[in-house]
Amino acid sequence: MKRIIISHEARQLFRSGAFRALLLMVAGAVAFAAWSGQRSIDRQVEGANAAIAFEDGRRGKMRADTEQYQAQVAAEGGEYQFASAQHAPGAGPPQGTNAGVVGSTTAKYLRMPPTGLAPFSIGQSDIQLSYVPVSMNPTMYITKDNELENPVNLMTGSFDIAFVVIFLLPIFILAISYDLLSSEKERGTLAMILAHPISLRELMASKIIARAGVLLAGVLVLGIVALLAVGTNLNLADTWARFSLWMAATLLYALFWFAMSVLVNVYGKNSAANGIALAGTWLALVVVVPTLVSLLATTLYPAPSRMELTTAARQAQTEAESTYMARLSEYYYDHLEFVPEGDERAMDFLTVAMANRNAIEKAVRPLYDGFQSQLNLQESLVQRFQFISPAIMMQLALNEISGTSADRYEHFLNQAYDFRVEWSEFFTVKFLQRAPLRPQDYDQLPAFEYREEPFATVLMRLVPSLLGMLVLLTGAILIPFLRLRRYQVATS
Amino acid sequence: MIASIARKEFSEIVRDGRFKWTAGIMALLLLTALAAGYQKYSAYMDIQRMSQDQTNAQWLNQGDKNPHAGAHYGNYAFKPAGPLAFFDNGINNYAGTALFMEAHKQNFAIGRPATDQSSIGRFGDLSGAMILQLLMPLLIIFLGFTAFSGERESGTLRQVLSMGVSNRQLLWGKALGIGGVVLLIVGLCVVAGGLALSLTGPSTESESLGARVTLMALSYVLYGGIFLFLTLAVSAWARNARTALMVLIGFWAFAGFLAPKAAVEISKAIHPTPAFGKWMADMRSHQMRGFDGVPPFVRFEQESREIFAEYGAESIAELPVYVGALRLQKFEEYDFPVFEQHYGQLRDSYTNQRRLQDRIGIVAPTLPLRSLSMALAGTDLIRHVNFADAAEAYRRDMVLKVNNYLGEAAASLNTGYGGGNVLIADEAIFAMVPPFRFDSRGLQATLAEHAGNFIALMLWLAAALGLALWSVQRLKVEED
Repeated sequence: MKRIIISHEARQLFRSGAFRALLLMVAGAVAFAAWSGQRSIDRQVEGANAAIAFEDGRRGKMRADTEQYQAQVAAEGGEYQFASAQHAPGAGPPQGTNAGVVGSTTAKYLRMPPTGLAPFSIGQSDIQLSYVPVSMNPTMYITKDNELENPVNLMTGSFDIAFVVIFLLPIFILAISYDLLSSEKERGTLAMILAHPISLRELMASKIIARAGVLLAGVLVLGIVALLAVGTNLNLADTWARFSLWMAATLLYALFWFAMSVLVNVYGKNSAANGIALAGTWLALVVVVPTLVSLLATTLYPAPSRMELTTAARQAQTEAESTYMARLSEYYYDHLEFVPEGDERAMDFLTVAMANRNAIEKAVRPLYDGFQSQLNLQESLVQRFQFISPAIMMQLALNEISGTSADRYEHFLNQAYDFRVEWSEFFTVKFLQRAPLRPQDYDQLPAFEYREEPFATVLMRLVPSLLGMLVLLTGAILIPFLRLRRYQVATS
Repeated sequence: MIASIARKEFSEIVRDGRFKWTAGIMALLLLTALAAGYQKYSAYMDIQRMSQDQTNAQWLNQGDKNPHAGAHYGNYAFKPAGPLAFFDNGINNYAGTALFMEAHKQNFAIGRPATDQSSIGRFGDLSGAMILQLLMPLLIIFLGFTAFSGERESGTLRQVLSMGVSNRQLLWGKALGIGGVVLLIVGLCVVAGGLALSLTGPSTESESLGARVTLMALSYVLYGGIFLFLTLAVSAWARNARTALMVLIGFWAFAGFLAPKAAVEISKAIHPTPAFGKWMADMRSHQMRGFDGVPPFVRFEQESREIFAEYGAESIAELPVYVGALRLQKFEEYDFPVFEQHYGQLRDSYTNQRRLQDRIGIVAPTLPLRSLSMALAGTDLIRHVNFADAAEAYRRDMVLKVNNYLGEAAASLNTGYGGGNVLIADEAIFAMVPPFRFDSRGLQATLAEHAGNFIALMLWLAAALGLALWSVQRLKVEED
């Protein structure tokens, strides 16, 4: 009997023009989202490549100058010297021999590579640069730049697959299941069906299985197609592991919404009332609660103001200057190219510039750390409050799975902060020793390789969200299951 | 007749138990949003004013140094939030707040609040505007979808029409009744919120505040009207109440959630913005090779004869101004067209994207309304662009002033390019650059840019009304 009902329901679904239209819409939305997600990631990669090529190119040019200079020294005799200061192009050893100049005027761009599933959930990656510059500048320069994006677009958010899953999928689910029992009851067919050897629970389950089966099969197929179309690193186990997690999360989330439909249906109200209740639930869980949680987080743990940070950094700069600069003309500090040839003070200017940067770094660091610590507090509040909305859990989970989460970005930034120390050490030591940079020194520059987090760490962070959804789902199944005993089959 | 229908509709809704819940939640959310918005707004504005004063003072007290070094020290422009930001925060979370104005470089406004927020912030802000844009239409749908379909199902429609009420009278009556309820909830909250805010302390900048509030109210009334008549139209047209509800919720989700995001992606594809790295590399290499392909150093050498001739001089020694300062200023000016091209390219892509998104509003009324609301609140893209332009104008003026001063004061030092470094400026000299102040362009310019959005809302209202009239004309009295 159950099987008959399931196959009947499935057939009915496919015959209904509305359902076919809905399936088409889901497919269209996924295709559109995959396309836009792909564009977004491609753009990031293009930006990273261009930035890296530009800065490496400038250093490459400097290296080439030193190579030429080395050849010239070898041919003409004499000593391979350290360029004393920047000067107008032409005479003297090239600037590339001066480690202080190279280290402070060129940067090295570090890149956090996208995971294979990155186009699925854009997360914050449209704001935060996935490639950051490291130089002898203070730490705050690493995160100074943002990705270029129209603020209106940022405000609206991306149309990525995560959006389709979190916002649209529930609407489709509710649209095909909000009148699960109520419509049969209204048509008067419910009593007739139940005259057959089937319980109300079985009937309900069969109807849900038919709908969920069809829709989820569709989602699975669409997911795989999307992965093959826009996913990358398809040869890596990591990508497929992430994809499986994605599917598991989507399944849990979708089942939760099916369960909500059942839950509302067992209260025996008419279809229109069910529709209102479910639309209200969707609005509350997907739109209102997340904004309330966000409001709570930013109200309880507001980030320090970037404006205050700016004025504080300037204060530090002024103080550092008055200490270190003494009688040195700052004009040279900004324009070493104007320092008269052979002026010994030129060296001091660069040293002062470095001391200056150091002072700013020290003064601003505590303020700067304030941002990260408030952000961490906000994130942990969101972690705790996520359980009141499956949409929050899902967003956190999908960002995590796609590698666009706040945690992974922080993991990347910490590596960048460490690397900055190593990178500027290299130049500072050579500069202070007045050791001329030779072409081969350029080959000894510290290299950066992003170290991916262990997959277990990612899994551990996913546990609360996935477990929370599982608990919600169980609750949403259990309540109607118990409640169904009291369902009135016919309108009295 | 219309009045009594409206009264019946009004009291029927108000007496319904569900109404109390819906209205209560709506009112609570709206008041929370307004209070939170105001708290954030005033905190932001306090910091903004303080920081701007501080940085202006820092400019003056930067210590005695070479005037050009002073221009390197530069100044910051901090963006004011916009007169109605507490109601609609617009793009403020996603646009920079601090713009560094220094010699040689045009900069972006940095410090976007969104980067210092949890990723959950991307679900959106709970603001008065958000509630009116997304929740109010749903409220209207909930209150109105049974207006005709429900009466038909319960059989009262036949009775009412048999009493000699025309279909149109019924429509207007119901529109007035439901509209009255919505206005009651929303209006009360907005007025209460507004009163509380005007009582608590110093109000916002008064950039034609009255006109802004009036136009804002008008836009939202238009928007509410669109959903009201669409709801009535669908209610009259649909076979039964649940179909009406599903169609309306579908449209609401489309207009409020799907269409804006889809419009963003479409506009990005048609008017792409380069990635930061690509843009930065392009601009800086362009700067290095010179706008017309002649690097600044070379170009100055080439043009020096003409430049000197402008001053009636043939050699550096004859120049009445210090040559180092002259060259600094020339280098500055060589970069202007480069900046204009590359920053202009970005600005154009943003503007074109926004315009296209507004145009897509033809299929979803939430888009033009959102755009209008931000513009009237002073939290939109146009204002942000104005701010960046004002900062760039200030920067150029600041650099020009200090370089000119250096040129004149160090005129006797024309021994070489490095001669002028001995010149030291003090606070009195730095005071020749006035403090930065951002005066946004008037409301008029904003309105001119947004005329299309007003028209779009009007068209939507006309279409919704037309649809409603057409639907009631062919209203079926009984279910088939």
